[in-house]
Amino acid sequence: MRRLYLRIYLAVLVSLAVFAVCSGLVWRQFGDAGPAGHAFEVAATLAQNILPAAGAPKAEQQAALEKLAGNLRADVALFAADRSLLATVGEQLTLPSAGRDRGGWLRHWGNAPAGTIHLPDGRWLVARVPRDRWHPGFPLFFPLVPIAFAVGVGAYPVVRRLTARLERLQAGVESLGAGDLSARVKVEGHDEVARLAESFNRAAGRIEELVGAHKSLLAHASHELRTPLTRIRMAVELMKESADSKRKRDVEQGIAELDALIDEILLASRLDVVKGREADEEVDLLALASEECSRYEEAELEGQPITVRGDPRLLRRMMRNLLENARRHGAPPIEVRVSRAAGTAEIRVSDHGPGIPDAEREDVFRPFRRFAGARDNPGGGLGLALVRQIARRHGGDARYLRREPSGSCFVASLDASAPDNAS
Amino acid sequence: MGPRILLIEDDGRLAEMVSEYLGEAGFRVAVAAEGRAGLERLTREPYDALVLDLMLPDMDGLEVCRQLRLKSDIPVLMLTARGEAMDRVVGLEIGADDYLPKPFEPRELLARLRAILRRRQPGGPGNALRFGRLEIDRDARVARLDGAERGLTGHQFTLLVALAEKAGRVLSRNALMDLVKGEPLDAFDRSIDVHISRIRAAIEDDPKRPRRILTVRGAGYVFAKQQD
Repeated sequence: MRRLYLRIYLAVLVSLAVFAVCSGLVWRQFGDAGPAGHAFEVAATLAQNILPAAGAPKAEQQAALEKLAGNLRADVALFAADRSLLATVGEQLTLPSAGRDRGGWLRHWGNAPAGTIHLPDGRWLVARVPRDRWHPGFPLFFPLVPIAFAVGVGAYPVVRRLTARLERLQAGVESLGAGDLSARVKVEGHDEVARLAESFNRAAGRIEELVGAHKSLLAHASHELRTPLTRIRMAVELMKESADSKRKRDVEQGIAELDALIDEILLASRLDVVKGREADEEVDLLALASEECSRYEEAELEGQPITVRGDPRLLRRMMRNLLENARRHGAPPIEVRVSRAAGTAEIRVSDHGPGIPDAEREDVFRPFRRFAGARDNPGGGLGLALVRQIARRHGGDARYLRREPSGSCFVASLDASAPDNAS
Repeated sequence: MGPRILLIEDDGRLAEMVSEYLGEAGFRVAVAAEGRAGLERLTREPYDALVLDLMLPDMDGLEVCRQLRLKSDIPVLMLTARGEAMDRVVGLEIGADDYLPKPFEPRELLARLRAILRRRQPGGPGNALRFGRLEIDRDARVARLDGAERGLTGHQFTLLVALAEKAGRVLSRNALMDLVKGEPLDAFDRSIDVHISRIRAAIEDDPKRPRRILTVRGAGYVFAKQQD
C-alpha cells in the first residue's frame, strides 16, 4: 500500500479489531471471576434453599428440579457431591471437570454456554439456556457496534489531516528539487511535522540564498574578468606597428586562451546551477563541426549532414573542446567524423598522439585532472569534463576509445531522435 | 567632422583606450562613467550613437537603454560579456541596435559602430546581415568587411546572400542551385565552385584558409555562423 494515510488508518482499524478480539477472549476466560463469581455464590445459596436437602429422595429432587427448569425455561441437571447425577430436565448436561471447585460458565464448542452452581452442601446445579434464546451478553453488542463504527470513522479525518501535512511538505520538497527555489511550506501546529516544515523552510531559504549568490557571482565574474581582457586587447591594438608583431600575436593568443578559460569555468558553474537547456534549436552538426575544424589546419572532417535539437552554444563548446584536446594532447592529423547510429548522432575526434593508458580513460573526464607529461601543455583541464556534461545534457554521453595502432579517439554521442532525423 | 559618440563605461582606462582608438578612426568620443550621468549628457548634447556597457555602478545598461528609448532613437551599441545570452536578447528587445561581447576585437567595434550609424542614415541599410566584421547589405546589394565595400558581381552577391541566409547549415551544390534558381542558369551551373572561390577572395582574410565560406568534403558548403 503506497499511501501512508491508508496504512495508518488500516493500522487503527486492525488495532480496534485486535482489541475487540482480545477483550472477548479475556471475558471468556475470566468473565466469571470477581463480581460475576460472587453472583454464582448468591445463586448457589438461593438454589439450595429452593431445592430439597441433599439426602432427600431422588423423586423429590427431580420434582423440584422440574419446577425450577419450568421457571427458568432452561435445561437443568443436579449432581450429588460425588458427581453422580441426581436429577435432570431437558437436554443432557455434563458436570464441570473434576479440578473445578466453584461455579461459573461451562462452554462446549457448538453449544450455548451452561452455568454451573456449586451449592454449599456440595451438590452441583448445571443450567443451560436453550440455543433458541440469545446469549446473555448479546445486548452488549448493540452499543459496542456504533462505538466501534464511530471510532473507525472518527480516526479517518485525524489520520488524513496528519498525512496531508506530510504530503504538502513532500510537494514543497519536490518543487524545490525541480528548481523552484522560492518553494516553502505552511507551518501548521507545533508538533514534529511542524518542526520538520520549519527546518525545510530554513534549508530552502539558505539554498535560495546560496544559489542567488552563486548566480550573481557568475554574472559579475564574467564582466569583471573580461573588462580587463578587453583593455589588454585594446592596448595591443593601440601599439600598432611599433610593437614586435610576433609578441603582439602572442599576447592576442594569450587573451584568447584566457577568454576561453573564463568561458569554460563560468560555463561549468552555470551547468551546475541551471538544469535543462537554456536554448533549444535545430543545429546542423556537420556545419558546426566544419566551422570549428576551420580553426585548425591539422583537422580533417568527413561525415553526413545531421540535425539535432540542442543548445548551439553548448554544442559549439563541446566540438571546440574535443578539437582543442586533440591539438594539445594528441598529434596531427586530427580526424573528425560526424555520423548517425541508431537514434544518436556521433562525433568522433581521433588523433595520432600517444593515447591514454587504460587506467586513466575515465579520469580524463574529471575536471582539472592533469596527467604526467601534460604540465607543459596549457589548458585548464576542464575541457573534457565539459564535453561529457554537454553530451549528457543532450541525451548522450562522451567516452574514450583507444585508436589502433596508436592515438586517441573521443566519441561524443547526442540524442538525434527528432522526427527530421528519422530518414 | 566625424560622428559624435557617447561611451558609457565605468572602467576609466578602457574608456580612455576606446576613445583613443575611435578618435584615430575619426570619431569624436565623450565618456560618461555612470548611467545617470550618461543619460543627462544625452539630453544636453546631440550625439550620433551611444556605446553602452551592460554593467554600470549606479544602474545597469538595460535600464539606461530602456529610459533612453522613451525619448530618443539614437543608435545604441551594447557591450556585454560573452555568454550573457539573456542580456543580449533582452538588450536587443528593449531597443539596442547591436551588441558586442567583451573582449572584442577593436576592428569589430569599429565595424559595428559604422554599421549602426549607416543604418540610421536616410537610404542606409535596413536589411543587412552581420557576421562579425562582415556586413551583407541586401538592400544596397553590397558586402562590407570592416566597413569597406568588397567587389562582388551581382551573381556572386546573390550566391553570398543565399549562403548567409542559411548560415550554420551544410548546403549541397544542388541546394545552392535551388536557392539561386531565379538567376540565369548559365551563371550558376558547374562553375559554382569558381564563384565561391571569387567570393572568398573578396570577403576572406586568407582565401586559402577560409573562415566564412567553408567546404565540407562530399557534402557542400557552409556559411559559418561564428566567423571572427
